[in-house]
Amino acid sequence: MTQGVERRNLVSANWVLVLLTLVLAAIGLLNLYSASVVRLGEGTSVAAYFQKQCLWMIIGVFCMFFCMFLDYRRLISSAEPMLVLSVLLLLLLLFFGPDMGGVKRWIPLGPVNFQPSEAVKISVMLLGAKLLAKGKDPLTWREFFPILSVGFVPAVLVLKQPDLGTAIIIMFILGGMMLYRGLKAQIIKVGVLVLILSPLAVDKLIMPRLLDYQRARITGFLSPEKAPAKAVYQSDQSRIAIGSGKIWGKGYLEGTQSKLRFIPARHTDFALAVFGEEWGFTGCVALMTLFCLFLLSIYTTIRETKDRFGGMLGAGIFFYFFWQILINVGMVLGLMPVVGIPLPFISYGGSSAVVNFCMVGLLLNISMRRFVFRAA
Amino acid sequence: MQINIESESSQPPKHGLILLQVLMALLFVVMVFRLWHLQILQGEHNAQRANANRWREQQIYANRGLVLDARGVILAANRPSYAVALTSEDCPDIPSTLAKVSQWTGEPMSKLERLYRQSREEGLPKFSPLILAHDIKFEQVARLESQVMNWPGLSIIAQQRRFYPQGDIFAHVLGYVALANAREVESYAGLYRGDSVGKQGIELKLENSLRGVKGRVVQEVDALGRPLARDSKAPPVGGRDVRLSLDADLQLFAMRAMAGNAGSIVVMDPDTGRILALTTSPSYDNNLFTGRLSAKDWGRLRDDERHPLQNRAIQSVYPPGSIWKLVMAAMFMREGIGRDETVTCTGEFRLGNRVFRCWRAGGHGRVNMLRSLVESCDVYYYQMADRLGIDKLTEFAAAAGFGRLTGIDLPSEKPGVVPGREWKRRMRGEAWQRGETINASIGQGYTLTTPVQMAVYVSSLLNGGRLLKPLLLEEENPVERGRVPSTEAERIFLLKAMREVVENRQGTARRLKMDDAVIGAKTGTAQVVALGDTRLRTEDMLYQHRDHAWVATWGMKGDKRYVVVVMLEHGGGGGASAAPVAAAVYAYLFKNKKPESVPWRNVAASGYITQSDPAEARGLDEIIRASKQWEPFVGPDHRSAESARRDKDDAGS
Repeated sequence: MTQGVERRNLVSANWVLVLLTLVLAAIGLLNLYSASVVRLGEGTSVAAYFQKQCLWMIIGVFCMFFCMFLDYRRLISSAEPMLVLSVLLLLLLLFFGPDMGGVKRWIPLGPVNFQPSEAVKISVMLLGAKLLAKGKDPLTWREFFPILSVGFVPAVLVLKQPDLGTAIIIMFILGGMMLYRGLKAQIIKVGVLVLILSPLAVDKLIMPRLLDYQRARITGFLSPEKAPAKAVYQSDQSRIAIGSGKIWGKGYLEGTQSKLRFIPARHTDFALAVFGEEWGFTGCVALMTLFCLFLLSIYTTIRETKDRFGGMLGAGIFFYFFWQILINVGMVLGLMPVVGIPLPFISYGGSSAVVNFCMVGLLLNISMRRFVFRAA
Repeated sequence: MQINIESESSQPPKHGLILLQVLMALLFVVMVFRLWHLQILQGEHNAQRANANRWREQQIYANRGLVLDARGVILAANRPSYAVALTSEDCPDIPSTLAKVSQWTGEPMSKLERLYRQSREEGLPKFSPLILAHDIKFEQVARLESQVMNWPGLSIIAQQRRFYPQGDIFAHVLGYVALANAREVESYAGLYRGDSVGKQGIELKLENSLRGVKGRVVQEVDALGRPLARDSKAPPVGGRDVRLSLDADLQLFAMRAMAGNAGSIVVMDPDTGRILALTTSPSYDNNLFTGRLSAKDWGRLRDDERHPLQNRAIQSVYPPGSIWKLVMAAMFMREGIGRDETVTCTGEFRLGNRVFRCWRAGGHGRVNMLRSLVESCDVYYYQMADRLGIDKLTEFAAAAGFGRLTGIDLPSEKPGVVPGREWKRRMRGEAWQRGETINASIGQGYTLTTPVQMAVYVSSLLNGGRLLKPLLLEEENPVERGRVPSTEAERIFLLKAMREVVENRQGTARRLKMDDAVIGAKTGTAQVVALGDTRLRTEDMLYQHRDHAWVATWGMKGDKRYVVVVMLEHGGGGGASAAPVAAAVYAYLFKNKKPESVPWRNVAASGYITQSDPAEARGLDEIIRASKQWEPFVGPDHRSAESARRDKDDAGS
């Protein structure tokens, strides 16, 4: 049992991933500064997001190294308690949580707000990885449902907060991990059938249960001409911003859509729109390349790790980033309905930044120990 | 480099790795393709939309030109008017906001709700202000300004409102401006929905020069519509001021001389055609139309059986009665009838079995042309006209300017009727009757004229036979539209005869006699209904059966020459009722008799337009200044609270 960190581990750590992470975080900070500059009258005003995010990033880097050096295999035994704890936290939040603007997402802890749904994401990922690491044949129905339920219960609780974005991410991560592990052909067939029937299910089962603004966003995406102006407005303005960047962009701090506040949620979910407006097609392709290299770097670790649990956890981390990038970029580019999912390292948000760094740290942890034989 | 110390079973799932590869590739390809679509393919389009987002073009209203009288009295001005407007996009709670406005302004809630509903149905953009209450009293504005800040979406906006200081005195000449309808928006360049446009009178006739050209300003705004930078594209060009030939004091004096009678007075300079006064009564306050005319006011004006909206001077046609004899006598002379040729008036003229009576039952005896005019003997005209026939009459009357427009610069002028064979065939499909010639000779029957036509004709007698266009604009040069087919001697004879009508003891307009001025006149009493043999006294007849009273006059004193035509609808005898009105006008013209208490002179003296309405208690200077240099009123920034809220939302999401 290898406990300490040896020289060998440090050499085999995925330092490319660290580099890519820091570059993305730097781009995120740069862009966040631009997003917080707003023109007012003759002058400009700068919101304090930039400084706050800098602080969060530093905290995040520390967390990353913390996650890196603690042997991830220790987490195997604590997967179940962690999930139970975080589900309890979610329940507590639902019943006793402070109402912050109609939603119960945060637990105030002194100067910062703790978001239990982030802990849930990690717990689900850990337990999922643990369960999926057992055995090597494609999943059968008997294995499929218990694993699915690991994500389902927390997802429903998160949905109640309400936080559609995180609920989707939880289920998608788990789904991605199961696909990676491999499913029996029958399950895949049923899955395809469900996908085909899902528009009907969405219409009859999910839509009536959604909140008004969530429904408006989805109908706004599906048929913009019928949707209320406000639901279409966000995605419309976002596309205008990105598109108006053309090939080379308007230049840093020169974006009119962002400086004049036409882009909604430009610090958070629509931060990419600010970036796209100012850096244009070249900048966006460069950023997408960076993101894909980032994913590729994670992929390399997954491929090379000899530990089954590590591989599964790595896949979870891959999907954690993959879905967020896909959904956020798709939303900003008008390919998907507006769902509140941030773009990793680019969107403003303390919890999300810290968790992102933790995830990278966890992956570095796996990469460090990828050649280490696990002594039973 | 890979050290294979793992068992085969811990190899990562092969299909899983392929899945991850495919997903990464798809992510890159799809997103880059979409970026190419948005930024390269649609880049230009999106860039334009981004610019359209932040640059808002606004129109700056040009000042409508002022209308002044010949001496500079303001007849039509512009004044600031404040309105409460609702921008529905910024308003979180429409019903309670409407209720608040209703409480402030006293506008009924149902009306505000209807206005709001209509604006939604008509597709008014949500960011455009909808005006809920027009023309708020000035003292309310200050109070509301502090209140609207607490009501997002509400604002007080300033508009330019046309204002007629004299109200009903010049209503028919000036007309009015009101909101343009769809047809008008289409027919004038640069006119948009919500703009005002001249609807009647000078305001309509001179619309294009009074309106001016709107200015354009592009303004950079942020997402909340808050202005950042301004860039003027084109300054507004004010409309041209118009100076009318009218004399405001005379107009007021003449209006008062009408003493509530329905009718019209035309005062004209015979040498230039300038109109000095053009009154119509009953009149209306044209200020009613510049705002939102209430259904009650409109119904009252429309249904009034005395038709206050009608401009009688140019739009009402009346049988001219005996003043037509001036035209007939001129025609007789031209057709070779000697002035000394006499007719014996027995009080009636027989044609077949029909009897045409003279107004004097006993007859006038032997009557020559002069006497026929002075004493207004009908039989003389019956006989002469019957001898010459209708064709001569038609031809001459048309040449003298009747039956066609005088060309005055006012809309909807009526030409009147000069009857003849051709006219009757066309209008009635019947042949002309000989007896109708008899009626036509004394200005009865089908013959119809307007007061202003009569003034043009009388002027032609004084100015060398020129039929001049009646001019309303001070700077316009005389326009000759024809010549009366009478020689100088013939015209002088008619003037002499008119003088006799005033001076002679038998004359019908003796009331016009003035010591130090030379005045000539011809009275007319036009029958409205044929009453058979017995003639009732005017007082004994139903109002609408009473005769129309006419007097057509000219007056000279020193180098001043005027033509005054008075027409009183159902006024009774021309000599008895119309002549005193003309006499009053001459008293102003020649004796410097001034109207008592001229309201707009008080304006200059006291600094107030009217004492009764404090909302309009603004100095004349201020009105002129406001009319000249118009700056759109910028209301308090009521959006700041709202924008702060949105910023918070942004940070929280």
